[in-house]
Amino acid sequence: MPAEQAIGLATDMATMSLLALSAFLLLVVGRISFGQQAYFGVGAYTSALASTAAQWPLVPALAAGCVAGALAALALGLPTLRLAGLQYAVATLAFAEMLRIALQGWHWQWTTDDGNLIGPNGLEGFRDIRWLLENDVSALEFLVLAAVVLAAVLFGLGLLARRRAGVALRMVGHDDTLAAASGLPVARLRLAAATVAGALAALGGGLYAFRTTYIEPALIDPMLGVHAVGYALIGGMGTVFGPLLGVMFDLGLLEATRVFAGWRMVVFGGLVALFLRWRPRGLLDETLVHRLAQNFVRSGRQSDRRPLEIAR
Amino acid sequence: MGIELLQRTLDGLLDGASYALVGLGLTLTFGTLRRLNLAYGATAMLGAYVGAWLHLRFGAPAWAVAMAVVAVAALAGLYVEWLCFAGTSDDTPPGAGAATSARGGGPVAGADAREVVALASSFAVWMQLEQLAVNLLPRHLNPFPSLASAGEWSIGALVLRPDRLVLALLAVALCLGLAEWLARSRRGLAWRAAADQRVAAHLAGIAVPQVQRAAFAAASALAGFAAFAVLAVDGQVTPMFGMWILTKGLVAALLGGLGSVRGVLGGGLLLGVVEAHAQGMFGAFGREFAGWALLVVVLLAPWRRPTRGFPRGFAHAG
Repeated sequence: MPAEQAIGLATDMATMSLLALSAFLLLVVGRISFGQQAYFGVGAYTSALASTAAQWPLVPALAAGCVAGALAALALGLPTLRLAGLQYAVATLAFAEMLRIALQGWHWQWTTDDGNLIGPNGLEGFRDIRWLLENDVSALEFLVLAAVVLAAVLFGLGLLARRRAGVALRMVGHDDTLAAASGLPVARLRLAAATVAGALAALGGGLYAFRTTYIEPALIDPMLGVHAVGYALIGGMGTVFGPLLGVMFDLGLLEATRVFAGWRMVVFGGLVALFLRWRPRGLLDETLVHRLAQNFVRSGRQSDRRPLEIAR
Repeated sequence: MGIELLQRTLDGLLDGASYALVGLGLTLTFGTLRRLNLAYGATAMLGAYVGAWLHLRFGAPAWAVAMAVVAVAALAGLYVEWLCFAGTSDDTPPGAGAATSARGGGPVAGADAREVVALASSFAVWMQLEQLAVNLLPRHLNPFPSLASAGEWSIGALVLRPDRLVLALLAVALCLGLAEWLARSRRGLAWRAAADQRVAAHLAGIAVPQVQRAAFAAASALAGFAAFAVLAVDGQVTPMFGMWILTKGLVAALLGGLGSVRGVLGGGLLLGVVEAHAQGMFGAFGREFAGWALLVVVLLAPWRRPTRGFPRGFAHAG
């Protein structure tokens, strides 16, 4: 595979990993959302507007998208998270589709200094988000940025998992009645998780907009959402690396290799269904993660002990 | 102005009847299994694509295509039931198959966790079936045997296409007939019993898993039939069809109270009329938007808050 293609694939993986982590966070608190692609879209459009209309540099534009995604997720989470799981799943899909249709009808263009007409143009999409080209950022440099962003997010989530708040989130996901009975603010924890999830998806969307220089409403069709949930379900919910494993499997194996051309969705869809049936918490589920961690700790202790024995 | 409004309402009612037709199988599945089958549109679409393929390749006549569509949809439905729904019931009666998972909890929490897992799993199978259909006929627009009539009737200033009227009457007859059958026949009683009280039905000698499988296959066959009827009026099928069936059927079924067979008729008609007027006011995007917005309003409506989950199906069918 040529280097250029490999860099592109790796950047796509980082972008999709953020979306997958967003779906994963909601799964952790026990909700399935089919609408995380909406926040991906909010982030993409907001970052693109900040970069073109307001002439903001890369990082502030990404941050603006991130904030917009978080606010949108908070605003939609308030009414929808009270619903039962089934209704929540349908409602998220409905809101995402409403956003997609609204974007199809959104025309707001202006002329730039060099005479180009840019801005969201309905179905035609939003072209010429050219910050990377104008500032000579190479594909490799952008990949490094995306990887750093992803690593920071993973680090943050990993840190959260060890804190009280992280344990509380998992508790809400495992049994919300029990969590409420133990005095946890279930609704507020879910809302917080949904807000962070919205921010993560929006961050992914912003990165996507900068890399491809072009976004369109069709980008956020339900297929994107089902992929995000599927990555988390296949990869596993025991650790933040589960969704990443799912992304690597789908983008790295099914899409990048020619063997599955035309059959990618057949394999992916079937696998998600099989996993839900026979390994409902994914490949890296809590049991496996716990066992791996124990082995790791045990082998660590043994190597600690050995010098002592020699000394004795 | 008044005539235009009336014409739009009439068009909406006719559209709405076909929404009720496609929502019928969805509501039936929920009524018998308490599960929302998101692969519903894709099963019908796979059937329709096989039908269109037979028509294109071998010049199959309309009746043969209709049979093929219904048969393939029913088979695809059985596959979906086997993969996503079998053995996922809340209170599995003794000897009726393994529970969902030997590894403890599924990926979601809450009173309806298993419903949500089955929902996600059927969502994944939707992608699978849709891709299969597109692999069979990769073009965007595929011809479908047309039963449409060229003529139009005019009643005063109103215009009415007879083929669409036939379709609407068919939908109304099917909804009312099915509701009647469920309420009166012995088998209908068995379906309702299996849905409302699994354990009691099992103890009364009803083979619950078999009854549910039969109901699922019947609902999928109904989807296939609805797909054929709608497509025969259109004369073509596109890859968007699966999504169309699912969204229109889902909104109609949810509006009517998921699981209620007569309700889906009312829900479909309401959706049709709202969409027709939204189109008149805001254009094509407005039409699409209004459908989803109506769904959101129903889901978030404050008067539904006290009931947890959806109304309990056929018990409330009226």
